Amino acid sequence: MEYEPSIRRYRFWYAKLLRLYSKPFRERFGEGIEQTFNDLLRECAEEDRGLFGCALGIFVETSEGILRENLANIIAQNKRLIGIIFAAALILLVPLVAMQFTEEVNWDLFDFAFMGALLLGVGLTYELAARRAGTMAYRAAAGVALAAAFLLVWLNRAVGTEEDNSAGLMFLGVLVAGIGAIIARFRPKGMARALLVTALAQVLVAVMAMIAWQQYVEVLILNAFFVALWIGSALLFRRAARQHG
Amino acid sequence: MPSKEANGPLTPAVLHILLALSTRERHGYGIMKQVQADSQRKVKMGPGTLYGSLSRMIKAGLIRESDRRIDPEMDDERRVYYKITGLGQMALAAELERYREVVEVAEHKRLSPEAFAHGI
Repeated sequence: MEYEPSIRRYRFWYAKLLRLYSKPFRERFGEGIEQTFNDLLRECAEEDRGLFGCALGIFVETSEGILRENLANIIAQNKRLIGIIFAAALILLVPLVAMQFTEEVNWDLFDFAFMGALLLGVGLTYELAARRAGTMAYRAAAGVALAAAFLLVWLNRAVGTEEDNSAGLMFLGVLVAGIGAIIARFRPKGMARALLVTALAQVLVAVMAMIAWQQYVEVLILNAFFVALWIGSALLFRRAARQHG
Repeated sequence: MPSKEANGPLTPAVLHILLALSTRERHGYGIMKQVQADSQRKVKMGPGTLYGSLSRMIKAGLIRESDRRIDPEMDDERRVYYKITGLGQMALAAELERYREVVEVAEHKRLSPEAFAHGI
């Protein structure tokens, strides 16, 4: 057949194009797609339709398919990651919209960048913890600890920007102690201990704050809330450690 | 694991592929030709759309690869054949039932393509 050399040439380039599919897809369907391409070109040749036009049309259609397939793969593999980025963006929209209606909310670029980094940091750390551990207890423990850390940093920033507030820095000190412990031992047993230590540190901070401020009820309630979160997280990590064996 | 794709409604590509495979096993090119014939050449599917759909349908459990490899009508080249599964047959039946219900409603309202020819 006189058109066979042309078909072989187009098939060669088509095989190159198919390399853009993911490896598992290519291994499963690559041969079949090439065969179908071959069949379609033969059909074109037998019906006296221009081989170049046919090949070009199939190249374009397959390129669209490759794009769709790879995009679907990226989304499927990073669904939660994309969700975290969207959630952070959505939360940042709240002050942005509020600024259009009231002058009481007045965030500058640094505020948005800080909150964005904080939200993404918390979200990504949780994602790492969730990927690392299979148990629900571990995920819940990480979630509670990260929520407590987020609230502490947020409160510290909200209060600390308004006025000089050294007590706020003590809250940050507690957080740093917690993070240090987390970095030191990422295993559930070590995490449980680290968070108990963080809870104890929080109690110390409360005592110091009460002495410094002479405001007992407010400080007590606020710190009791955080102590409860740290202890709750520690207990969940302990349960995860037992499940882990 | 059967996914939401199996519970319908089905996309046009999936519906046509299931229809093409409902009577016999076919390879990629065979499916394309059957889809063209079933739709009176109104639906033309390229390899990109076809194999993307086949991949998702296999994952959803609607079709599976067949053991057959040779097409005696075409040539002796090795080809991958696909066949509809029990779940695929159920999904196709459910989709056709949905279409029947829609047509029934349209008939009940005395609607036909001609009814819209001159506007309502």
